[in-house]
Amino acid sequence: MSNWIPLWLHKLGSPPTFYRFAGTLQPWAMTLALLLGAIALYGGLVLAPADYQQGDAYRIIFIHVPSAEMSMFIYAVMGVAAFIALVWRIKLAEVVAMESAPIGAAFTFITLITGSLWGKPMWGTWWTWDARLTSELVLLFLYLGVIGLYHAFEDRRQGARAAAFLAIIGIINVPIVHFSVNWWNTLHQGSTINVFGQSKMSWDMLWPLLTMMLATKFYYAASLFRRVRTDLLALEGGKDWVRKIAEDEAKS
Amino acid sequence: MNRAGLLAACTAMLRRDLTLAWRRRGDIAMPVLYALIVTMLFPFALGPEDTLLQRIAGGVVLVTVLLAMLLALDAMFSSDIEDGSLEQLVMAPQPLALMLGMKILAHWITTALPLIVIAPLMAAMLHLPGAVIPVLLLALLLATPLLSLLGAVLVALTAGTRRSGMLLALMLLPLCVPAVIFAAGAVAAAQQGLPWLAPISWLAAALVLAVVLAPLACAAALRIALDA
Repeated sequence: MSNWIPLWLHKLGSPPTFYRFAGTLQPWAMTLALLLGAIALYGGLVLAPADYQQGDAYRIIFIHVPSAEMSMFIYAVMGVAAFIALVWRIKLAEVVAMESAPIGAAFTFITLITGSLWGKPMWGTWWTWDARLTSELVLLFLYLGVIGLYHAFEDRRQGARAAAFLAIIGIINVPIVHFSVNWWNTLHQGSTINVFGQSKMSWDMLWPLLTMMLATKFYYAASLFRRVRTDLLALEGGKDWVRKIAEDEAKS
Repeated sequence: MNRAGLLAACTAMLRRDLTLAWRRRGDIAMPVLYALIVTMLFPFALGPEDTLLQRIAGGVVLVTVLLAMLLALDAMFSSDIEDGSLEQLVMAPQPLALMLGMKILAHWITTALPLIVIAPLMAAMLHLPGAVIPVLLLALLLATPLLSLLGAVLVALTAGTRRSGMLLALMLLPLCVPAVIFAAGAVAAAQQGLPWLAPISWLAAALVLAVVLAPLACAAALRIALDA
């Protein structure tokens, strides 16, 4: 029936296999994240020329834009994992969804902070009730709602399922919120990077930005793997494979 | 399940919830009093100038009604969970979504409707021009069911937890942003003499969507929360 799903993917869904898999990949992902992040920072802060209008202040986009992108990317990952968790009741998907939420909330927070740091010299104000800023703030509250609901239940799996449901409601609501807020008020500049067609940005500034976007992806993967591994150990506390790991740890 | 049976079940559900609410009439008055007192606080906090109050009146009434509904939302399923009748409802042969839809309707009648009835009084306290009040009422008539429906889904999700009040606010308020924007937008447009039908239509569209989806989502959420 489900032959089109390769066997290794099935196996990856089982906690012990994923624990080993994530353990192998996690250091690599972290190394890549740090390496690419360092290159991107050097490229963005040192090599890239200053903007003719904004001077050096624009350089905050090398943090701001990748974080903003990650805040939405992680919400999408969380939504997909939540959907899988609810439909097929896969324990790993629940863990991935719930452990993505704090990372996503952190990226959203960084986006808001760097945005307001940039807004002070450029717009002359820390905060303004502009469409994108407000949507991002709502996104932060959605993340916090998911985290809060997850921790409100005593049974962690039940909490994960309830919070997964909330994440899916949020995913339906995010476009509506974004659209309605857009209709309400807009000051934020339009997007500068265009995947299809010419970007309105010089290549000297673009490559560090793209490198940083890649670095944040790897950081997310590394962070997620680490969190999921810890969570799996806690969830599967009584199982044989966890006991074996604990015994091996005690021996060495 | 034939149609007559379903209709009878729906009326029975509605009558039961309304009777229960009527037996505890004091609870119905609470959100109304809360809304009036909050409205009264604004002139104290901002000063009694007519022009300022007039400008914020629509928004204050909307947000106050929203907060009053939020306070009452917690009670939507709590007594049914305590005496176990909610679990009976989950196991009943009638479709759970339909029954929950009736419960939401009963809750809207007992909490939102009294608030809408006193909304003109609240608006008058803040000197909202009389010509705008019908638009405010129309916006409230469309926005409050939307909040009840959205709120019901979230209340159902927190049904299995204790002390869910603040959590409910944290989850519900971000999701209400569109309803507040459109309702307040309609009132503001009417106040400036601009056409206000567009935001009202958006509210109506959102309500139609919620009427179809929210009871189904509420049923699914309840099954998760009760682990049924």
